[in-house]
Amino acid sequence: MVLRQIELQNFRLHKNTSLNFSDKLNLIVGGNGQGKTSILEAIYYLCTTKNLNLANESDVILFGEQYFDAKGIFSDLTENQTRIFFDIIKNKKNFFLDEKPIFNSSSIIGKFPIVTLIQSDHAITQGAPSERRRFIDSVISQASHTYLEMLLEFNKTLRQRSSLLLQIKESKNINLFSQLEAWTETLITTGTEIIKHRIRFVKEFNLYLHEAYNHIIESAEEPLIVYDSLAEDEEENAAERFREELASMREDELRRGINLVGPHRDDFIFSINGLELKRFGSQGQHKTFQIALRFGQFFLMEEKLGKTPIFLMDDVFGELDTYRAGKISEYLSLIGQAFITMTDLTKTEGLKINAENKLIKVSNGTAAYA
Amino acid sequence: MLIAEPLQKAIDELSKLPSIGNKTAQRLALHILKSESQTVDALVKSLIELKEKIRFCEVCFNIATEEKCEICTSPKRNRSLMCVVEDASDVIAIEKTNEYNGLYHVLGGVLNPLAGVMIDSLKIRELLLRLQGNDVKEIILALNPNSEGDATSVYLMNTLKNLNIKVSRIARGLPIGGDLEFADSATIGRAFIGRISIQ
Repeated sequence: MVLRQIELQNFRLHKNTSLNFSDKLNLIVGGNGQGKTSILEAIYYLCTTKNLNLANESDVILFGEQYFDAKGIFSDLTENQTRIFFDIIKNKKNFFLDEKPIFNSSSIIGKFPIVTLIQSDHAITQGAPSERRRFIDSVISQASHTYLEMLLEFNKTLRQRSSLLLQIKESKNINLFSQLEAWTETLITTGTEIIKHRIRFVKEFNLYLHEAYNHIIESAEEPLIVYDSLAEDEEENAAERFREELASMREDELRRGINLVGPHRDDFIFSINGLELKRFGSQGQHKTFQIALRFGQFFLMEEKLGKTPIFLMDDVFGELDTYRAGKISEYLSLIGQAFITMTDLTKTEGLKINAENKLIKVSNGTAAYA
Repeated sequence: MLIAEPLQKAIDELSKLPSIGNKTAQRLALHILKSESQTVDALVKSLIELKEKIRFCEVCFNIATEEKCEICTSPKRNRSLMCVVEDASDVIAIEKTNEYNGLYHVLGGVLNPLAGVMIDSLKIRELLLRLQGNDVKEIILALNPNSEGDATSVYLMNTLKNLNIKVSRIARGLPIGGDLEFADSATIGRAFIGRISIQ
């Protein structure tokens, strides 16, 4: 799938911007605060209905205006137009696919697949376990609607169960124990399915990660993700282990009034050559790992969805040494359509820019081909 | 814009109804205004009768016109089967299938600690009382397939375990008549996870 063109109106700094894109590499160059990332933000909106950085829609409107409007034309087997329109007075976001309104964003999941490599990705390898869970869950969800639904249900069960735990803690009413048992059983049923899906996913994803990592640097480094869950990688007795763990933590849960056991507390341990990345990794290894995760995601999604995703890279090149920049640029030529922002063209030494690619210069909300 | 007060009043009252918005309410009000007096009388009468004559069955808490509902008093129903549902609307849905000939028990909700719905707010004590000195041999739990419905089913299964009554739960799966290809992927996925062995 490729994005042929976009039209932006009152979108961040872009009063009126229309762009046609290359099927290959699109380089968006300009100084800080000129409107490069806004173009990626718009593309992300048009693929997912959501904001790239979880910003508020009202912040996206050009200062002093009442609405923003973005349209994009995708082409795959057929041509499709998506459009996002936000009105500040109604405070309502409207998304259209081929001029028909879409009310449920999950109904277009997987239709316009997109992979993003952005600054905040550093949190995936360096941040809290929740960041890694969020990454893994989002990748599985993009390929499996069933997983997404189960995750939503599991989260609902967690909220219900913690509300009950809190009520027990406060009222000391032991008659509520029988109800707690019921919620515990429900938690185990859905939670076990989530654990099983994650175990299977990590096994498969490691192959993609290995491949991607070795494309970015040629060395004997071996990246690995290990799923750190209560089931310890064994699908068969996941439910049993879950139950045992809950039993042993029961007193703590009742005392503190919160859910202490389940996949919502799992972590994914990233390592290189058996050494945990978070503890022993260099900055360069972190960066390479983050990039490999996204390339791995790209090829996994392409395989699962049978569609080539769009690849977005925001300001990543600036941080890379020439060797890895060159490697990544080689890698990018394999993947189809990509959008890359950078502040400084001199950083593109390793980047092969040819007639197939497009160079777009952005300055104070206006974009021009260079 | 000024709208005659009685008309505005009717629109406001109608728009309180579920799934009726302002526009629909206005259309209905204008339609009623244009209708014959006797048609309107019949409508009003039926609504008043609905409120006056309908009550809840004191045995199963289904909608009834007498102390006991028609299902509870019918000699044709199979008294060894009992189906537990969340709401009276579920009884209507199951009755329409013509596949079930047993009794019902309407819980009046499902467990929802966040919203403050606990066991005492549901007709569970009434269910247990009802099962004493009764011929019920099998209980079918037909609650909605979400976390609240599931937790309530588990609670009931645990509670009914010692009563020596068979307890079953309706399956989670695919709609009949529709082709597999038209079902949404989440439903198909769940149906696969919940598959049953036939050999």
